[in-house]
Amino acid sequence: MATRMKLKLKTVFVLYFMVSLLGLVYALMQLGQRCDCSEHDLPKDRTISRLRGELHRLQEQMRNSEATKKPQKPITNPTIFVITPTYARLVQKAELTRLSQTFLHVPQLHWIVVEDSPHKTPLVSDLLVKSGLTYTHLHMPTAKDRKLQENDPSWLKPRGVEQRNEGLRWLREDRRAHPGGDNQQGVVYFADDDNTYSLQIFEEMRSTERVSVWPVGLVGGMKYERPVVEGGKVVRFHTGWRPSRPFPMDMAGFAVSLKLVLANPESCFDGEAPMGFLESSFLQGLVTMDELEPKADNCSKVLVWHTRTEKPKMKREEALQAQGLGSDRAVEV
Amino acid sequence: MPKRRDIVAFVLIVLPWTLLITVWHQNNVTPLLATRKDDRRLGRSNSRNTFALKESCSHQNHDIVEVERTEYVYSRPPPWSDILPTIHVITPTYSRSVQKAELTRLANTLLHVPNLHWILVEDSQRRTTLVSNLLQETGLNYTHLNVETPRNYKVRGDTKDPRIPRGTIQRNLAVRWLRETFSENSSQTGVVYFADDDNTYSLELFEEMRSTKKVSVWPVAFVGGLRYESPKVNTLGKVYGWKTVFDPHRPFAIDMAGFAVNLRLILSKPQAFFKLRGVKGGYQESSLLKELVTLSDLEPKAANCTKVLVWHTRTEKPVLVNEGKKGFTDSNVEI
Repeated sequence: MATRMKLKLKTVFVLYFMVSLLGLVYALMQLGQRCDCSEHDLPKDRTISRLRGELHRLQEQMRNSEATKKPQKPITNPTIFVITPTYARLVQKAELTRLSQTFLHVPQLHWIVVEDSPHKTPLVSDLLVKSGLTYTHLHMPTAKDRKLQENDPSWLKPRGVEQRNEGLRWLREDRRAHPGGDNQQGVVYFADDDNTYSLQIFEEMRSTERVSVWPVGLVGGMKYERPVVEGGKVVRFHTGWRPSRPFPMDMAGFAVSLKLVLANPESCFDGEAPMGFLESSFLQGLVTMDELEPKADNCSKVLVWHTRTEKPKMKREEALQAQGLGSDRAVEV
Repeated sequence: MPKRRDIVAFVLIVLPWTLLITVWHQNNVTPLLATRKDDRRLGRSNSRNTFALKESCSHQNHDIVEVERTEYVYSRPPPWSDILPTIHVITPTYSRSVQKAELTRLANTLLHVPNLHWILVEDSQRRTTLVSNLLQETGLNYTHLNVETPRNYKVRGDTKDPRIPRGTIQRNLAVRWLRETFSENSSQTGVVYFADDDNTYSLELFEEMRSTKKVSVWPVAFVGGLRYESPKVNTLGKVYGWKTVFDPHRPFAIDMAGFAVNLRLILSKPQAFFKLRGVKGGYQESSLLKELVTLSDLEPKAANCTKVLVWHTRTEKPVLVNEGKKGFTDSNVEI
């Protein structure tokens, strides 16, 4: 009886084993074969494969169009270092977003963002990471007595001084730590986060040897301010306000070559300078008026505008907050 | 002895099954893995989040973040795709000192968006050279229209006639142009978005609205005197109200920048326009939307209306005191 059972069991086991082996062999055979997808073909899969095909086609197209375009600019194309001071307020994220969208079109651009804050904020950190730009994120708080208060007019105290100086300091330190021919090439531009920049201005400034200048729109109480050029040289400045300043220009109206910045390690913006003399305080030590290089078609075109963004009205928000019903703080604006 | 044999038998049975199961499982997973690797390598293009972040090797301090953009293409605008729905952006604009600046930075934004068609409608008697040249230089796919708002309709200065919100006539002209250009039966997919020239738009917003089937909505910052206004979305993902302080009982308490309409829907309702006269402040958007869709049809975007992807920024009017009466600066220079 026992042996019979054992024998039966043995057959079962053997059968079982054979079935398993056959199954395994079948599966292994199926592995290399093309799948007969008609039963499993969900519409989602179809769209995915179609989109993937489209994606590859577009990639090919882009690669081809890039190849047929004018030849790649040499790697020694000078980098434009854009120093932007910024501070937390309601429109900060919007301003930095649209600024980054402009910069994303400019090749060889390195964005140095300096926050007026005792530490780096997540809002700016996240924005910079998502932007796709090459960037450096710094921070430097303004001393309390130098800071503009809530209801101060914007011209009362100079803004962004410590932050721009910090940007310069970092740049000098970074280049000193890594010497090498290419590293010393470049152009430094101070771009405030609420201005508007056309893409041409960056190509104009790339060839700066010492300090280049151009007109700025909507500044100084006028449609535009500009250097007046005669015989290819700047002879005076066209401005409606205090034209006797050494350099009566706006921050957005000039760029300095990196070489010059590195050769003059002491030059920076003077926060104590009288109103409107901030730019002069920096440029005085670097260059004389006849050394200035006029750009933008001998300073006849406006390629950058000193726009300012309105402060959004928050009356209802403030009223709600007083009742404890303010909008969700977790939602970043 | 029999014990060992049993064990051997048992192992011999279990082993193939485990192998079979693992092989079967892998078969389903590998195709997905392959695509993920592909996405990584492509860098930019459609998904902006798949950047390979690389710390610049030569710099010891991690101050510089060099994003690997070997695949980035500075072609502006991105090449046209045959399957992505086109986004028709309707922007009314009018002449003022900041106009060129506003349009410049808006163009810089739009140049990143694939399959975008910009319909710019000037509030003017004829198309100005400033705008024509600007549009040509950008390289965008655009349509340049113009229609002048009759003087007695203009917003400022006339208290006798009821005001109409600025840009209405221009937007209606663009909608009419769309209806004349595209037939309802064409296979062209598209989305219509009303974008004012002084707002700020994130690139993510355009990708969110691309999948609009009827009307999609999302939060807008700095409107209605709040940090942001947003639709109220329930757990089923349906809009049931509006989170605003200013008249939340409007049929559609939403800003112009807070919704997008499927092109086919606009074409299928040829009588739907923004109402010109007799529209209370804040009811402009409702005057169009109530002809097109009901509240339950709305599609919430931006993570069920929890993210802010568009800001209703306004640009200060520049102070031009130093121009004086005659104009100090050369009027031939375009600003």
